[in-house]
Amino acid sequence: MKVFNIKNINRIFFAGALSIFVMACERDVTDLGTPNYPANPEVFIDGFSGGLNYAAFGGSVPTAFQIDNKETHNSSSASMRFEVPDANDPRGAYAGGTFFTGSGRNLSSFNVLTFWAKASKSATIDIVGFGNDLGVNKSTVSISGLAVNTNWKKYYIPIPDPSKLTAERGMFFYSEGPEEGKGYTFWIDEVRFENLGTIAHTKYYILDGKTETKEAEINEKIQITGLKTSANLPNGVDQTVDASVAYFTFSSSNEEIATVNELGEVTIISSGEATITAKVGETPASGALTIKPAGSTPGPTSPAPVPGKPAMDVISLYSNAYTNVPVDTWNTRWQFSTAEEFFIKVQNDDVIRYKNLNFVGIEFASNTINATSMTHFHLDIWTPDEVTAAKAFKVLLVDFGPNNSFGGGDDSSHELTFKAPLITSGNWVGIDVPLTAFSGLTRRGNLAQLVLSGDFPNVYIDNVYFYKSGGGGPTAPTTAAPVPVYPATNVISIFSDQYTNVAGINLNPNWGQATKVTEISIQNNKTLKYEGLNYQGIEFGSNQNVSSFQFLHLDFWTANSTELRIFLISPGPVETPFTLTVPTTGWSSIDIPLTAFAPVKLNEVFQIKMEGNGDIYLDNILFRK
Amino acid sequence: MKISNKIQFFSLLLAGLFWGCETDDVQKLENRNWTLTWSDEFEGEKDQAPDPTKWTYDLGTGQNGWGNNEYQTYTQRPENVGLDGDGYLVITALNQPFGGANFSSARIKTQGLFTQKYGRFEARIKSPYGPGIWPAFWMLGENINEVSWPQCGEIDIMELRGQAPSTMYGTLHGPGYSGGNAVSKNYSLTNARFDNDFYLYAVEWDENKIDFFVNNYLYGRITKEDVPGEWVYDQPFYMILNVAVGGNFVGFPTSQTPFPQQMVIDFVRVYQKSN
Repeated sequence: MKVFNIKNINRIFFAGALSIFVMACERDVTDLGTPNYPANPEVFIDGFSGGLNYAAFGGSVPTAFQIDNKETHNSSSASMRFEVPDANDPRGAYAGGTFFTGSGRNLSSFNVLTFWAKASKSATIDIVGFGNDLGVNKSTVSISGLAVNTNWKKYYIPIPDPSKLTAERGMFFYSEGPEEGKGYTFWIDEVRFENLGTIAHTKYYILDGKTETKEAEINEKIQITGLKTSANLPNGVDQTVDASVAYFTFSSSNEEIATVNELGEVTIISSGEATITAKVGETPASGALTIKPAGSTPGPTSPAPVPGKPAMDVISLYSNAYTNVPVDTWNTRWQFSTAEEFFIKVQNDDVIRYKNLNFVGIEFASNTINATSMTHFHLDIWTPDEVTAAKAFKVLLVDFGPNNSFGGGDDSSHELTFKAPLITSGNWVGIDVPLTAFSGLTRRGNLAQLVLSGDFPNVYIDNVYFYKSGGGGPTAPTTAAPVPVYPATNVISIFSDQYTNVAGINLNPNWGQATKVTEISIQNNKTLKYEGLNYQGIEFGSNQNVSSFQFLHLDFWTANSTELRIFLISPGPVETPFTLTVPTTGWSSIDIPLTAFAPVKLNEVFQIKMEGNGDIYLDNILFRK
Repeated sequence: MKISNKIQFFSLLLAGLFWGCETDDVQKLENRNWTLTWSDEFEGEKDQAPDPTKWTYDLGTGQNGWGNNEYQTYTQRPENVGLDGDGYLVITALNQPFGGANFSSARIKTQGLFTQKYGRFEARIKSPYGPGIWPAFWMLGENINEVSWPQCGEIDIMELRGQAPSTMYGTLHGPGYSGGNAVSKNYSLTNARFDNDFYLYAVEWDENKIDFFVNNYLYGRITKEDVPGEWVYDQPFYMILNVAVGGNFVGFPTSQTPFPQQMVIDFVRVYQKSN
């Protein structure tokens, strides 16, 4: 069995160059232009029925269909033989075509199209059906993946609503490609419409019978899909077919909230709840779509900060402040991505809103970006979603390498993860990182993709750009850390010029680490410097009871660290890490709730440890209320 | 919609003229007068259990799948058996694991509550369908606990295979002719199915023969002489209604069997000859 190839279906409906062969066609000269079409149920019994034509679909083997007088069902005089080509057959990639009539037939007194089929080997025919008239294909009904084998077997394609077929021209169509690269032959015989009392329990489905709820915004459009009909065959098994939208009548429970047109396209009119259902004739279809307002998701009310970098130092993908380079798409709709994108305005500033974001591909492969002269990547994000320590927002950059195309062994990529406290809810957050932090991105001359992912389903983004920072950016702080302003009575200080530090502090206990520790002075302010951090401890000299304190405060600065954690430790040792967002843009001040260090005993903390990499500058390490 | 209780027994006369599918040619049925001796019209509230003065239950998975390798467990939960509030009893087969089985259904019987020797037994039923679905309206001899099966005798008034919903069977199982060797008659609809509408299934039983009917059409007669063993049908029998899932008669359900499946029963009526 092979994987069903959706492209085969597309071929049918977008068939380009059609080669039409009129075969054994008895021209139907009666009653042209009258509304009452003949009710001829026969399509192919032992030859073409009256008025029947055949056309091969574009790209198919034109001669795939032949009349066969040897291999027939029930030893009748003729059957239809279909020769599926091998892969790479120069005559065509598949076998496909439609049998249609020049004028319509009235099929409203029949409930099923039946035929017999067998094949030279067990195979799965991509699609068979009726209703392809080489025109609008209004009444198409089809089976996708029809299993055939070397025995003749009768097949049934139930008609969802025969009353719609008063002037049908599409009698039978098929499309089938090679199976695992190999061609084969199948035969179809005794094709006719019937009215069978042994077809029972016809059921209709929209959304494949599922009841779905969707949050939607005003003016959003949603297509109702999964239109199916099933009927129980004489062997007690249900046959499900894909049915065209023309058989269904849609309705909305509240037209002031959402409307639905005859093509099953839902338009959200105003905020509220509405349910879309459908009928075939008078019979309700299973499945419904309930629209709920998405207004409960707040968005930014002010635009992101306007970037101030000189345009000559910027390659911008999305910003009103710069001329943007071409981007193929802001949503590649890769498989399993649920992201939806909306281009909105916040106070006249263009912003991209992502909804249901699990991951989204942003592609500029048609015009890859050469960012070799750039030093940083910038992105502003705003999320209304709750931020917790565990939730991450991830940025992946992909370079296609010198071959400027996907694959080929020269691609490289790197993903950075951002969490609280950098990420906050309800604020514009600037993600501004040196490109060196994307350490796995070994080249950046052919950047082609940006992938955003993580745990925040609602994200607004703006000011996506690469920039060149003068001289590649400072590697050490030139200004002192911000001066803490907490009253001394509310502070137990470990390292700060502003307060009396705990007596007996050891800033460089020998725990076997490789880190080089120095105290330096920046603007006459003592600053603790870790060079080549692997890990590093601080011993307090005596146990400290901080159980009545709220935060561990810390100022840190690093241009090159990509990983940094701080641990609070009580005897045992009992220690808990907290991840710091690095590298920083200037001094980063953080107040870590002491509850984040549970189960460390806050009444007897006695050490701090840092782990990670790079060169770190630290100041104002203190507990505060 | 319920049909009237007043059955047109005159139709029996007509029906007899047309039973052409057996080797016998044409038989005339003598005129008969039936007196109603027992019935259940299944009137009541939705989800109400069947009348406990008339019906009891076989529960669980039985021995060896009730002797037939059936897959289901029988319960008396309203999900599996109950009135629908519109005058019908519904037995529902579900494909949800319950009680150690992958399927659940129900089997109700009049054992210990009502038995009768001879007469007319009928039920108006809309069948379930699908591969491996096995609905039945049938009877067992009341001495089953003393002499066991098949010595007690079994009269199947209606059963069918869900994968062939246009054909139903009427069958006698007795000593020396049970299971695959039972004496069986069947009736097939042309271009129609027993699960698409209600049909009236009946037997008329006396000391010499049992006649099998669909919609008062006599499609089979089994006489004392027709059974290749002892005629064990001269004692009271009790009635059973059930939907089995899988079993020796029907084969097994497949992934394509539609679930849930419902047997809908409009009424069960029993008559005794009054002349």
